[in-house]
Amino acid sequence: MPFFSSNNSAIRLGVLLVGLQAASGVRADNGPAAPQFNRDIRPILSDSCFSCHGPGTQEAGLRLDSFEGATDWAVIPGDPDASELMARVTSADPDTRMPPPESNRPAVDADAAAKLHSWIAGGAAYQPHWSYLPLQQVPPPTATDTAWPRGPIDQFILAGLEERQIRPSPEADRETLARRVYLDVIGLPPSTAELDAFLTDNRPDAYERLVDQLLASPRYAERMATWWFDLVRFSDTVGYHGDQDQRIAPYRDYVLKSYNENLPFDQFTIEQLAGDLLPDPNLWQRVATGYNRILQTSHEGGIQDAEYRAKMLADRVRNVSEVWLAASLGCAECHDHKFDPFTQRDFYRMAAFFADVDSYNSFEPVSSNTTPTSRPPEILAWTLPVYEQLQAIDAEINEVLGQLTGEIPGPRATAELRAKLKKLRHRRVEIEDHFEPTMVTAAVEPKDVRVLSRGDWMDETGEVVTPGGPTSLKAPLSAGDERLTRLDLARWLVAGESNPVTPRVVVNRLWKIYFGAGLTKSLIDMGSQGDPPVYPELLDWLARDFVASGWDLKHVVRQMVTSSVYRQGSAPRDELRDLDPQNRWLARQSRSRLEAEQLRDTALQAAGLLHHQLGGGFAKPYQPPGYYAQLSFPERRYQASQGTEQYRRGVYTHWQRQYLHPWLMAFDAPTRDECTAQRPVSNTPSAALVLLNDPCFVEASRSLAARALSELADDASDGARLRWAWREATGRRAHEDEIDALTNLLARHRDHYAAEPEAAEQLVAVGQTPRPDGVDAAELAAWTSVGRTLLNLSETITRD
Amino acid sequence: MNHSELSLQRRTFLGQSALGLGSVALASLLGKSAPAFASSSSSPVDPRLASPGLLNPLHHLPRAKRVIFLCMAGGPSHLELFDEKPALAKLDGAPMPTSYTEGQPIAQLQGKELLCWGPRAKFASHGQSGQRISSLLPAMSQHADELCILRSMKTEQINHDPAHTFMNTGTAISGRPSMGAWVTYGLGSEADNLPGFVVMTSRSGRPPQPVSSRQWHSGFLPSRFQGVPFHSTGEPVHYAANPPGVDFERQQDVVDTLGKLNRLHNAEANDPEIATRIAQYELAFRMQSSVPTLTDISDEPQHVLDAYGVSGADGTFAYNCLLARRLAERGVRFVQLYHRGWDHHDNLESYIKTSCDSVDKATGALLGDLKQRGLLEDTLVVWGGEFGRTPMAQKKDGAAKLGRDHHIKGFSMVLAGGGVKGGVTHGATDELGYNAVESVVHVHDLHATMLHLLGVDHKRLTYRYQGRDFRLTDVHGEVVKPILA
Repeated sequence: MPFFSSNNSAIRLGVLLVGLQAASGVRADNGPAAPQFNRDIRPILSDSCFSCHGPGTQEAGLRLDSFEGATDWAVIPGDPDASELMARVTSADPDTRMPPPESNRPAVDADAAAKLHSWIAGGAAYQPHWSYLPLQQVPPPTATDTAWPRGPIDQFILAGLEERQIRPSPEADRETLARRVYLDVIGLPPSTAELDAFLTDNRPDAYERLVDQLLASPRYAERMATWWFDLVRFSDTVGYHGDQDQRIAPYRDYVLKSYNENLPFDQFTIEQLAGDLLPDPNLWQRVATGYNRILQTSHEGGIQDAEYRAKMLADRVRNVSEVWLAASLGCAECHDHKFDPFTQRDFYRMAAFFADVDSYNSFEPVSSNTTPTSRPPEILAWTLPVYEQLQAIDAEINEVLGQLTGEIPGPRATAELRAKLKKLRHRRVEIEDHFEPTMVTAAVEPKDVRVLSRGDWMDETGEVVTPGGPTSLKAPLSAGDERLTRLDLARWLVAGESNPVTPRVVVNRLWKIYFGAGLTKSLIDMGSQGDPPVYPELLDWLARDFVASGWDLKHVVRQMVTSSVYRQGSAPRDELRDLDPQNRWLARQSRSRLEAEQLRDTALQAAGLLHHQLGGGFAKPYQPPGYYAQLSFPERRYQASQGTEQYRRGVYTHWQRQYLHPWLMAFDAPTRDECTAQRPVSNTPSAALVLLNDPCFVEASRSLAARALSELADDASDGARLRWAWREATGRRAHEDEIDALTNLLARHRDHYAAEPEAAEQLVAVGQTPRPDGVDAAELAAWTSVGRTLLNLSETITRD
Repeated sequence: MNHSELSLQRRTFLGQSALGLGSVALASLLGKSAPAFASSSSSPVDPRLASPGLLNPLHHLPRAKRVIFLCMAGGPSHLELFDEKPALAKLDGAPMPTSYTEGQPIAQLQGKELLCWGPRAKFASHGQSGQRISSLLPAMSQHADELCILRSMKTEQINHDPAHTFMNTGTAISGRPSMGAWVTYGLGSEADNLPGFVVMTSRSGRPPQPVSSRQWHSGFLPSRFQGVPFHSTGEPVHYAANPPGVDFERQQDVVDTLGKLNRLHNAEANDPEIATRIAQYELAFRMQSSVPTLTDISDEPQHVLDAYGVSGADGTFAYNCLLARRLAERGVRFVQLYHRGWDHHDNLESYIKTSCDSVDKATGALLGDLKQRGLLEDTLVVWGGEFGRTPMAQKKDGAAKLGRDHHIKGFSMVLAGGGVKGGVTHGATDELGYNAVESVVHVHDLHATMLHLLGVDHKRLTYRYQGRDFRLTDVHGEVVKPILA
């Protein structure tokens, strides 16, 4: 496989790491125990040495991140005992021992020193950093057990497990598996009816059919959009100072539509970064360029143009390099990178790609103290519901046109058709009135971008640079005299074979969704300080497969969730506790608390309140009064959405960067100021307070209670209703002791609320949903306590 | 972060460690992971270095156990409060010498004529130390011998939002932890059933600038180290009140039943996360009970209420100061009070009086109250804004009277208690109050000093994120040694 696909003329940015040796030939071949540079040696050097003897700083003139630098004098290949490096890291004399304590770098322990010793003895061979190497082509290995693997993923993992003499875990039971795959693929648990449909489907491919059905659901797009919005830091507000609303709703819908229609990821990338530079872009492609505009901006009075230009370019460099390359290029704003081969000049060359984005001062107050604010360039565009109405009416118009031009109708019919056509066209105009302004990119003459010494925007002495990729990635500038554009950048990012980083980054992040952690855990840093991957051959196989599939995300998801690895049970196993405490080898599935949005969606679905509508702007859940009291310019009054809008999925929640909804904060959703590839998973009392007391969850509990009272036959027993409600919340059947506990709770609360009718009335009045007719308030209040208990259960909020 | 640290942190309550809980039940619930924690503190250490947080033992003997940070949001004028400039008064109305202003960052005065504007306040000597303080701050002046005035502060951001972010996180880039989060991350909290980092806000005077919750965010640190906003009007803490119609017993019954069901489930699942969740619900319930006790000030004697000027939970800075003392007494590690309204671009003479009237008495009362209770010696009190104001006048369009613009090259902050020398003035600006020229204290130095007083070496309180060890002071920061008591 040629590393350099230079025959692709579209890829003017070219190829990563042409100057570095390809993987073959750099492996030590003196037995299996020989240290491999990337796996065994680089982490030691990167952690303990590079910050002073690496790409950024070369104290004592020593640079340990390359063979040439290391062997200048510190390392003598083949002779560790004569190598100064070994002497220094093992020295007993604190004055000569490296790293010195004041560096705060970890000491090289005996184990690490032994590895270094053996590596130098074997010739001190360097490898380019693993994530910059070309995608390996390793055929899936054949494991001893040929029955277990369902596909290549399973072959890779099982071979790894067998090598360590670990058996995979048995398959999860079907209830658990169904709930898992629903939550993972569409972000919602199955309804009881959906669950039963799967449990009674005895066809051998029932599970695969389920997966296809889920991938075809618009709910899949909503789940994936959340993932993308965290990465590209999509929000409804400007972020700095007054944090006014910005006009961007159509971009949200572009992302939803793209996932819904499974737009190939390469196309998705190109449209967002450079849709305006495509020949004759359509409206969605122009909407997509909102990507370049959704960084944090400010309307504060007295901001300095040059300062904000620098801030905004830096923000874009950080985001593009983190989203597509999982590279911390942002660290090179003020100085050359300490660990990775990025120079400060690389940072500003990357920034120069975006020098054509801010048409005039996009950061200049345009309508500073209003919300929503206006930040040109904006265009009028459709949201998805408006787009769909237009599609429908265009179909009707075409039909009438067809009738008019086909078989010649009689004069009366013609007149009727013409009248109909006029009416339809009139309606079309009415629909177009619902277009909304949305921020886009419209390329202008690029402004000069200078290298800013120490990142100081007031320094105007630095070199003016032109756009280009990081030189160490050997992204060549072969556009002749022409200036490279965002389109060139976008095409290079998704060049495939010749840029192996992006596909690795994407499949690794998808893997995290379905298996709990990435194959490399560092979802946002695939540089030398990142975690080397487990199953690197599998990572490369997946990345290749992704590119070969035409960047087909649904294909990758299907590969992952139909694997035997995915279908395993999650129960911890005693023998794995010491062997693989973090479950890196994947001899079982993992458990995790639901994400913030999934948690609320799940509660609303159990309540029967969830309202589905793909796209169409934001929604505002209930929020504590006064929560926006510290916002000004203008002062903000929060109006919770009314009617069905209140019950839309979490992905539509109005994302106020400075005051993210307390429910989202409590469950670790990011403010989206910066790229987030991995949300933390906390387990705090604040979260407990939200689930217990937020009116959204109280209302959902009450509505679940009302369903338990109304959806079963009138003569159903308490036990039957409790069992029903338990299953609605958790997706499994309750045990008797569980029902007993709830029965007792119900009895106590019945007594209380019968005696305290006013309290009962207050509790059942929480939320906008009217209380069902003919239901006794005390009875409903007592059942609401049951509902609150169910919606707070650890199982309800856990994906197993 | 290794596994045992992680499990330790999972057991923390908004920054409070398992040790602080004193809960035998919790320890037994956590079963297997408990010994891992115990072992980390098993080596004999000086008990004065013991901490309930991640840093145990502390790096050195702490002088302060907690911080009360009084943030004067908007940027108070140093020239009217702590930095007396007779030379500026002499140049009143004259052009500002360009040697000061050329090539310097500038905010709303961009492109405007720059004229000197003499100070609008009188200064006098106070206390035995004879510190020069403005007549606008009579109550704080009474504590002159406790105050350490830093007259040579410098920051890097000239607009409010980024300047606050810089003051709180040491960088203008979003997504980094605030100092309160860093401190509770490192030191944990000694508060039972209260968060370790509490934020309160108030406002008065000129229509205030916004303040973002980014200022107390935990950034990339675990989210339990986030500052928790307490409110002085309405519900004190969001979602800490039971839903309507649910009383104490009903809530307890739901939480108990929930705990029972989660335990039943965990008998099979054997998942430490579930055990933690059970404990967190119990803590949440206890917090629901402790907040009303905290905010019920009926146990305060009248003379204390009078000293602060508090009549009740009325949203004032005075009430927040009283709460700050009550939080400090309960072991809360970091209390941050924002008072908004210091952005005096116009009509400064009137507005600064309003601002001072709103905060001076309560600040003085807080210092006196802490001292009287013996808390001042281990409580570091910080008073100041995100930047200062220009020696040049600003004439806003449509405004009749003059004000001052944002200024970052020299301004004042005030420290008290917590191991800081009282009665001293440190550093100086030039004769016009423009540039900090003597013993300059950068924001990073303030952070380094604050951590030092808390027993922490600012270079060694780090968190690895994106492959790099981050710290509050980035790669900067020098402890301001001359002001250490």
